[in-house]
Amino acid sequence: MRHLLATGAVGAVLLLGSAGTASAQSCATSVGAVLSITGSMAAIGSAIGDAGKLAVDHFNEAGGVNDCTVRYILRDDQGSPNVGVDAAKTLVEIEKVPVLLGAIQSGVSMPILSSVTVPAKVTQISCCSSAPSFTALSAEGGTQGYWFRTLPTDRPQAAVLASIAAERGYKKIAIIHVNSDYGNSLAGSFKKDVEKLGATVTSVTAYNQEQASYRAEVNAALQGEPEALFLVAFPADGATVTREWISFGGPQKFIFSNALRADEFVNSVGAQYLTEAFGIDNAQVEGESVDAFNKSWEATFGAAPNGPGLHTMYDAAAVALLAMEQAGKADGTAIRDNIRKVTGGEGEPVYPGAEGFKKAKQLIAEGKPIRYVGATGPLEFDENGDVTGPYLIWGVKDGALVTLDKWDNARVGGALAAVEN
Amino acid sequence: MSGFAAYLVFFLIVALTYSIVTMGLNLQWGYTGLFNAGVVGFFAIGAYGTAVLVGPDRAQLIGGFALPFPVAVVGGMALAALAALVVGLATLKLREEYLAIATFGIAISIQLVALNFEALTGGVNGLVGLPRPLFTAFGSPGAYNLFYLAVVASVALLVYVALEVAVRSPWGRVLKAVREDETAARSLGKNPAAIRLQVFVLGCTLMGLAGGLYVGFIGYVSPLDFLPILTFQIWAMLIVGGSGNNLGAIVGAVGVWALWTMSGLGVSRLLPVAYQSQGGAIQVIIIGLLIVLTLLFRPRGLIGEAEAVSRHAR
Repeated sequence: MRHLLATGAVGAVLLLGSAGTASAQSCATSVGAVLSITGSMAAIGSAIGDAGKLAVDHFNEAGGVNDCTVRYILRDDQGSPNVGVDAAKTLVEIEKVPVLLGAIQSGVSMPILSSVTVPAKVTQISCCSSAPSFTALSAEGGTQGYWFRTLPTDRPQAAVLASIAAERGYKKIAIIHVNSDYGNSLAGSFKKDVEKLGATVTSVTAYNQEQASYRAEVNAALQGEPEALFLVAFPADGATVTREWISFGGPQKFIFSNALRADEFVNSVGAQYLTEAFGIDNAQVEGESVDAFNKSWEATFGAAPNGPGLHTMYDAAAVALLAMEQAGKADGTAIRDNIRKVTGGEGEPVYPGAEGFKKAKQLIAEGKPIRYVGATGPLEFDENGDVTGPYLIWGVKDGALVTLDKWDNARVGGALAAVEN
Repeated sequence: MSGFAAYLVFFLIVALTYSIVTMGLNLQWGYTGLFNAGVVGFFAIGAYGTAVLVGPDRAQLIGGFALPFPVAVVGGMALAALAALVVGLATLKLREEYLAIATFGIAISIQLVALNFEALTGGVNGLVGLPRPLFTAFGSPGAYNLFYLAVVASVALLVYVALEVAVRSPWGRVLKAVREDETAARSLGKNPAAIRLQVFVLGCTLMGLAGGLYVGFIGYVSPLDFLPILTFQIWAMLIVGGSGNNLGAIVGAVGVWALWTMSGLGVSRLLPVAYQSQGGAIQVIIIGLLIVLTLLFRPRGLIGEAEAVSRHAR
């Protein structure tokens, strides 16, 4: 026991000592990240951690933030809220980070937000937490504006789809959705929105993934004589559902979620049945800024950036650092207030990578406005810290996927306003 | 308050909350020999009970009674006690490993109910924006955390003193008799079945109390808070601290939680930035290694059970 105590004490002194020397040597700004490196999300967690580090490395290559080197401190939450909250607290209190990136799971991000970052006035930006409860909490003032996330939520998607459905005059719509938080939440938002616009939802049916047949679900959804089907699904299961819907004589008017924009889906259903269908997807999954990120990822890690959360994590870190540069100081409240100044608006666009950040730093030094167009395309945070991106509407023509329409941010905002009032 | 002190206060709030759970488990396992592998389930019931009672009214939820925090915590404890009574009546006939499997299954079921009973628990999104008691009365989060630490420490102290009195009473001596030899206890006219049920309910009530305190501090609750790993952590605290000793339970809770969290701080400080993605794995190895080493060198825990020998036998 005495041994343990002694080694513990020595360790603590060493830790405290090293902190002292680190800050004395050079000017350094710390950025904290809490991600699941081990635990249930371990398969994707460490690559997401690398994406954050890549953004920090690029910024350091470009000369650091406010002429200080950026230190990236990554902590593991082990997939548990209690460990994640503790890690976040050490980052905020001991490492004094002004901004915290993370976490992956909503159930970890939320307690960090409510018990660590908001009370300490530290900005928190998540790459990956998709729960709609963050939007609700923001709307009632629970986050004081310190919460941001770089992945689009389902709110705008549902609003755009509902407004097109209303335009096409669909009055009775059935919903079939995958039984997950993504499916539940998108189906729920869509139902609320179309009802606001005067249509009725005849039924909402959840299905469990990877089954051979969904006859029971399709049958249930066909009750009440719907005129159209809104399907939230992934390609393989979605094709099964759609085929069975058609074979049971369901109307061939479909509204599809983003994941169904895949050739395998169209081919396995049969393009001739989908001529009246439309679906939605994020518009900026390609473009110059996305290529810039993909290239530098490949150059660093030798493989394509395939995996969830990589693009959004890079953008989370980049937005935080640019806001710090714009603010001229590393302070949680200043970062919160400057994030919208470096995204959105009419400033000069800057792209991911060391070159892009160099240009951004120069423009900021000259007092010119910038607009970060990131690894996920253009970012614009609404008042709840959610991003609204541009969307595209796709359909099927002559046996192939085509883009029917494009919705820019202003139009998406209009659709959102129409269903919220 | 300097950074490290502020963190220490935060750390102690969580650690002492867990020490209440550990003392509850100690009563069940350390004194009476009940193998409760469903600790997290009763912690969850206390937490959700408190959250539903204290939470603000929301259109989509059944709960939201906006009761004062102490009332809500007592309500959470009562729910945990009720659940323990039902579970206890059904399972306490089982011995050791069978009881362990049954309670483990029950804890998982409770977590699944929390995940799926959306109207009451908010489902996967959890219950958001729960008020933290008296938060607005304090100017800074640092001062508030000090206040909350005082609350949790007082409660833990109260639990400790009450348990010490209880286990030294005639009732407490029967617990050890049941643990060591149930047949002998019965031959002396004691009712082991009743004792086991009382201990199970009392221990689970303490777990519910800790759940309520946790919710009051974090201001949020979700099913992710109640994964089986927490049961394992509490058991590690009890075994490392010294089962059969309430002080050992507290020391174990603080010590193991320190190991669990501060090892991460140490790893992130000492490891070069390039290897930080591997830090999580290193941390888990250190945790496992130190627990094993403690048990090898202190098999009865840091503070083991005090010997109970009749003064006539000396």
